[in-house]
Amino acid sequence: MSTEPDRLPLTVIGGYLGAGKTTLLNGILAEPDGQRIAVLVNDFGDVDIDGRLLASVDGDVLTLANGCICCSMVDGFAETLETVRGFADRIDRVVVEVSGVGEPRKVARWAHLPGFTPDGVVVLVDPLSVRDRATDRYVGETVVNQVAGADLVVMSRSDVADKADLAGTEAWLSVMTDATVLQSPLPTAVLLGPGLRNLTAEDAPAPTSPPHDHVSISRHLDGPVTRKSIDAWIRARPGGVVRAKGLLKVDDRPDDRTVLQVCGSTTTVTVDGPWDGGAEAVVAIALPGTPRAALVKWLNLLG
Amino acid sequence: MRDGRFLAVGDPDDLVATYGGTLDRTLADKVLLPGFVEAHCHKDTGGLWQYTYVGYEARTDPDGRSWPGCTTFDAVVERLREADRLLADPNEPLLAWGLDPIFWSGDRLDRRQLDAVSTTRRIFVAHSNMHLATVNSALMEAEGITPDTVAEGVPKDVSGWPLGELQEFPAMALAGAAFRSFFGRQRSDEAIHLFGKSARNVGVTTLTDLGTSNLLEEAIVSQWAGIVNHGFPTRVVMFHGAMQNGTVSDETCAAALVELRKQSTDHLRLGYLKLLLDGSIQGGTARLRWPGFHHGGPNGIWLIPPDQFADRLAPYHRAGLQVHTHANGDEAVDVLLDAVAEVQAAHPMPDHRHTVQHCQLTTPGQYRRIRALGMCANIFSNHAWFWGDQHISITVGPDRAARMNAARTALDLGVPLSIHSDSPVTPLDSLHVAWAAVNRLTPSGVVVGPDERITVAEALHAVTMGAAWQLRMEDEVGSISPRKFADLAILEADPFELDPVELRDIPVWGTMCGGVLHPAAGVGD
Repeated sequence: MSTEPDRLPLTVIGGYLGAGKTTLLNGILAEPDGQRIAVLVNDFGDVDIDGRLLASVDGDVLTLANGCICCSMVDGFAETLETVRGFADRIDRVVVEVSGVGEPRKVARWAHLPGFTPDGVVVLVDPLSVRDRATDRYVGETVVNQVAGADLVVMSRSDVADKADLAGTEAWLSVMTDATVLQSPLPTAVLLGPGLRNLTAEDAPAPTSPPHDHVSISRHLDGPVTRKSIDAWIRARPGGVVRAKGLLKVDDRPDDRTVLQVCGSTTTVTVDGPWDGGAEAVVAIALPGTPRAALVKWLNLLG
Repeated sequence: MRDGRFLAVGDPDDLVATYGGTLDRTLADKVLLPGFVEAHCHKDTGGLWQYTYVGYEARTDPDGRSWPGCTTFDAVVERLREADRLLADPNEPLLAWGLDPIFWSGDRLDRRQLDAVSTTRRIFVAHSNMHLATVNSALMEAEGITPDTVAEGVPKDVSGWPLGELQEFPAMALAGAAFRSFFGRQRSDEAIHLFGKSARNVGVTTLTDLGTSNLLEEAIVSQWAGIVNHGFPTRVVMFHGAMQNGTVSDETCAAALVELRKQSTDHLRLGYLKLLLDGSIQGGTARLRWPGFHHGGPNGIWLIPPDQFADRLAPYHRAGLQVHTHANGDEAVDVLLDAVAEVQAAHPMPDHRHTVQHCQLTTPGQYRRIRALGMCANIFSNHAWFWGDQHISITVGPDRAARMNAARTALDLGVPLSIHSDSPVTPLDSLHVAWAAVNRLTPSGVVVGPDERITVAEALHAVTMGAAWQLRMEDEVGSISPRKFADLAILEADPFELDPVELRDIPVWGTMCGGVLHPAAGVGD
């Protein structure tokens, strides 16, 4: 039985030099949260893979013992994504690292290629330097655009930055972007989105391992939901929700698969093809302390 | 001549008396110039002619066939119908290039016009800037481009159907196999042969491929060596593009290029590096100093972080390699000059000849620094003709347009100068580039920046000796001098006897490269 999604969720991770991308990518590869993740990097210098984790090396593709792979994008996006699509049966999702001067929002356009589905734009910032960078003569607009184009902004180094820096940067970010702003460290399921494999498994819809003390909840659906209920669901999103994903049928498109997605501040509803026979379900992850009852009520709006 | 070189240069009778040999009168009625050296073009110059040309301006293909401009939708459709009839395999996509809707006052080609060409064959038409394409319904159906396609860069009509235009690479890639074929076939042997033919037709005997190939891949180097070292009509100088380093560090890459240089031959030169800093002015992606773009659009993009640039440059500089860096906007040039100053202070390298490529908005102050740092400038002079009117009215405004591509300033300040086409961005044609630098005419008839015009002699020097110097080939090509390679541009008229405005109209008979004649396509048929 195949309940694998036919499209690999693709999350884009950006941020200027020194924002903490390497640390974050290494964290994901070391603790992939039960997901088999393909990390695409500009060069392998951007990740520092422990040799003991390495299972095999084949040209531009490194395979890790935990099932994750790491690819360089030396041949360009189109070719690299074509290569990764060939691995679709042995990976669950894709993470693309954007160069320090790249615009993650633009890179996210690649996630619409056949075989992929966009799963959020995450931008890292160094809370100690981002405000200075944003006024730099050469890279100011780049940094501003990176932040403005994010769904989720993650402040790195929150352990070494003092409270005033974090608060000041957070206040500044609230002006610069509509994105949800969080502090590192964060569980993989929040950074990249919940694993679809678990979501669509028939009898165990609980999302992947409890993400630290984040609150996660899921619900199976039976038969098409109304378009109207989706609209209500979008409007009623409770505070604290940082990620959600749903695969379902909608009354006006009962034969197609409709994908609901929340990443930080952004909610999208798309149709990605005919229904493939998997389970209809929705999952949400919220910040620690979010009342579970509010989440249950929210997911129950779909119907 | 002997062994493909000029043995001596002078009065024919004296030379025969001194050295023996015979006087060959084949070219007695021609005008012989040093073979032109194009110091900034790309291998796609030839490869694009594997597809159907549908541009607005007339162009001549490498085999000498002239293709009138497609100035209407109907002309595009007719051109594509003809190409459709010539394709035997119904499953082969029809690929075309050069479409430029900027000239069509707002009207845009869409799938409906292309459906009039074929409802069954996939059609992929790349626009002249290579950042857009238009496809037909058959292609959209084959690749699943539907009203459900939510990708950015896929505009739709009022009923929600995609129009067929695919904007920027992530959207163009939705065209699947046709997209991959369009770019993949640029690597074919045929593409290299077409590149050489194009050069021969316009008097070029030394070509560059400026960073479009990954020379760390052995197969690519041996492909080029296998072709260029065996009777190719031009010499080729290949630059490795450091943007394609992938898993390889700059230190390792520099060491590899030093090794690669040893595989250089008389015909194929290796061991040069290309870096990129910013985008283009007409595309709105160049990095400009204050006051930015005249049209008020945001400043451009960086392709390498400015604060990393000196670190990227340093390993190549220390290895004694020459680095040519794409820098269109004046702000990008600032970053480049600061980086060269930094690496020079840390590792002084006499005569490094690091070169600024394009220099479109480079200021007099920056040219002084270029000179002081021992650098060279390769200026994109063809812009006056191809985008001059747009630069005046849209991109940078009349004042900066008049100071753009400031060849006069560069020469007056003693900067080693070359001028270039950046083919296929503008057509490969050194006489046209020289004409543009001499006249600075725009299509609307304006002389844009008369003070920056240079003389015919200076322009011809720039496309011969000036370019040779920037490629470290000044003792081998660029002039008709004893012991240099016997490379000639063979013309039908003397550029010094014509009105300078006629420079680009001089017919080219062909070339001589290493003593071997290569008549242009159609000559002597």
